Amino acid sequence: MTAIAVTGKGGTGKTLVSALLIHFISKKSRKVLAVDADPDSNLSDALGVEVERTLGDVREIFQVSRDEMGTMNKEQWLEGKIYETICECNGFDLLVMGRPEGEGCYCFANSLLRGILRKLTRHYEFVIIDSEAGLEHFSRKTIDSADYVIVVTDMSKKGLATASRIKQLVKELKMNFKDIMLIANRISSEEAEKRIREFSEREKMKLLEVLPYDERVVELDLKGLPVVNLDESSEVYRRMRKVAEVFLKG
Amino acid sequence: MVERKRIEIPADAKVKVSVGPEEKFPFDISPMYEGERIRKEDMFVELGGPKQVKFELVLALPMDQVEDMKVTLVGPDLDEMKEGESYPYGMLYYIAGSKVETDLEPVIERRNHDFQNYIEGYMHLNQRYDIWVRISKNAVKKGLKSLIQIAKATMMLYKNELPFIEKIEAVYITDKNLVEKILKEIAMPIYDERDRRVETLHDEDVEEFYSCTLCQSFAPTNVCIVSPDRPSLCGAITWFDGRAAAKVDPEGPNKAVPKGELLDPIGGEYSGVNEFAKRESGGEYDRIKLHSFFEFPHTSCGCFEVIGFYMPEVDGIGWVHRGYPHPAPNGLTFSTMAGQTGGGKQVKGFLGVGIAYFRSKKFIQADGGWYRVVWMPKELKERVAKYIPEDIRDKIATEENAKTIEELKEFLKKVDHPVVKGVVRKVDGKKITEGWPEVVGVKEEKVEAKPEVAAPAQAPTAAVQPAVQVPTAPMPIPAMPAFQLPMPMPSQQAAPAGIKLIIKDAKITIGKIVLKKKGEK
Repeated sequence: MTAIAVTGKGGTGKTLVSALLIHFISKKSRKVLAVDADPDSNLSDALGVEVERTLGDVREIFQVSRDEMGTMNKEQWLEGKIYETICECNGFDLLVMGRPEGEGCYCFANSLLRGILRKLTRHYEFVIIDSEAGLEHFSRKTIDSADYVIVVTDMSKKGLATASRIKQLVKELKMNFKDIMLIANRISSEEAEKRIREFSEREKMKLLEVLPYDERVVELDLKGLPVVNLDESSEVYRRMRKVAEVFLKG
Repeated sequence: MVERKRIEIPADAKVKVSVGPEEKFPFDISPMYEGERIRKEDMFVELGGPKQVKFELVLALPMDQVEDMKVTLVGPDLDEMKEGESYPYGMLYYIAGSKVETDLEPVIERRNHDFQNYIEGYMHLNQRYDIWVRISKNAVKKGLKSLIQIAKATMMLYKNELPFIEKIEAVYITDKNLVEKILKEIAMPIYDERDRRVETLHDEDVEEFYSCTLCQSFAPTNVCIVSPDRPSLCGAITWFDGRAAAKVDPEGPNKAVPKGELLDPIGGEYSGVNEFAKRESGGEYDRIKLHSFFEFPHTSCGCFEVIGFYMPEVDGIGWVHRGYPHPAPNGLTFSTMAGQTGGGKQVKGFLGVGIAYFRSKKFIQADGGWYRVVWMPKELKERVAKYIPEDIRDKIATEENAKTIEELKEFLKKVDHPVVKGVVRKVDGKKITEGWPEVVGVKEEKVEAKPEVAAPAQAPTAAVQPAVQVPTAPMPIPAMPAFQLPMPMPSQQAAPAGIKLIIKDAKITIGKIVLKKKGEK
């Protein structure tokens, strides 16, 4: 099983990258699990699928019902509910983590979740996780770790600053990753591209791909259409397919 | 108790029988298949699940009523099922053994889920009347023809992993009418009976308790002891959960704690528990009384759902739940008090508990239980109202009756709450408190001392580096609860005999704080 976490400052295009990665990998692999680990989630929209319930919803139900469970086995209850929330989509499964923790003690719930997710993800070939820059699920260890971390940035200084911070955080969290890589998005000038390459060398993050600013992506965004509908002739589409092939080859 | 007996199979039902172990299975069996999810497009059939009626149940029977390794299938088998469809499903196991008893049924039943998931191409989710099973097309392609094969594999795993099961027999039902009948007449009453056990099982009925160290990452010396009469303070774990977890992973965060010798039946102190606590807390403490507020109270990590606090002015205990925003009559909010009690230390005067503890028959038994409780927020009181004995329920104040100590005293006097004249412990009839001195009368002399905190009279100093001056608005610290000595606090020095020192309503006002390096004038 190969786990790929896609993260980056909000608005830099990480959901675009996750969605296209999922789209291409699931064309070749039959066992793909997409995970939306961003509480402000919209991966399902980008993929063009509807999701009824999230893991966060289930966790909240668990927190309030656990007193009334009598002698039912709590772990099995939680596991069953989580499996019910997994969306069986066209070519891949989707799990939306949903809202972050509320008040109260989540130690027990999270410890159960950790075990359940670990057992679940084992059976997929690829697990692609769209995560916010804070990497909450990794820090809480509800998701164990990732083999590859892709950090998405745009040309802005803020995007790059977040990228370095993420690299630092990934090390602190002891995420045991094999490689941490960079994808630059919305790059519209040579100057900008040069700066990104310098950044990637400085930070020792392999620059996987440079994606240009693409009107067609903007249009889909404006219309609220799934990004996987992107025209095949688009440069962004083509380059993301190359990225997917890197992982498919292993 | 629901009678445990073999079910009746209707005479006209389609039945398949097989006895004896299976030689070879057409599927792989290994824990690595746990978690395997079978998608709709990959499934041959679905058994149970959201669209059908279903159950799984284990029944403990006498040895002579169980035929070892026999499987009876009632209803259509896999080779009569249509691809892509869902069918009703009931799995019943009869077990027998010298160590087998009805209390073990749920523990054994849970393993059905674990073991069946070891089977390649077979997915089992949920429990009881919720089970959801899918069998993959691949499994059928590889040679799975009958549910009898599944039953035999499961029974083999049971006997291998749980050697105290000496005989096991299975009845699998895919006939809708029979599944419904057994579910309604036998399974549901038994599930209800089990859940009611939560209320009828007590500390003295079991040989071991269970520990939980899940939050030791936040509070390294905290060890929760979970007993039938004392569920976890975070609200997550009952004794039953602890038992289930410890049986599956004995070296995990939930371990079995042998009770050992009973040292104090009312406070709930056991030699085995003390030893365990001493070890697991790194020696931080070595005695715990499970049902005592004042003596060697249970520690907490800070995650408790409710905190209890002692109010000496009324010699009673109040409770506040997480999320209640206002101060309690002692002037402190939940979060302030929670800060005092967390971190795995034994702090007398405060106690963190789970809401489920209010249901316990031994609720702070050593200190008078409900008869020592004087205040709780209305929301909390309503939630646990049915567990409060009738003769005390209306005497416990809420924020609607009293918001301050004075108002509380008025109320308690008016309703003649037991703390006013002295609390009699129901469990042994012993009178454990003396009542309020002003009501009951006091023989000793009272010495009232009002402390004066002299604001250091500093002449306005030519600023001496690096003295820092804090703005001079007086800072009142919230009123500290009045302390009354002697309180059962071993760490305090006993007051000289015959003198009671009462410090009331201490308000400490600070005029100015001047920070100076040592040696400076």
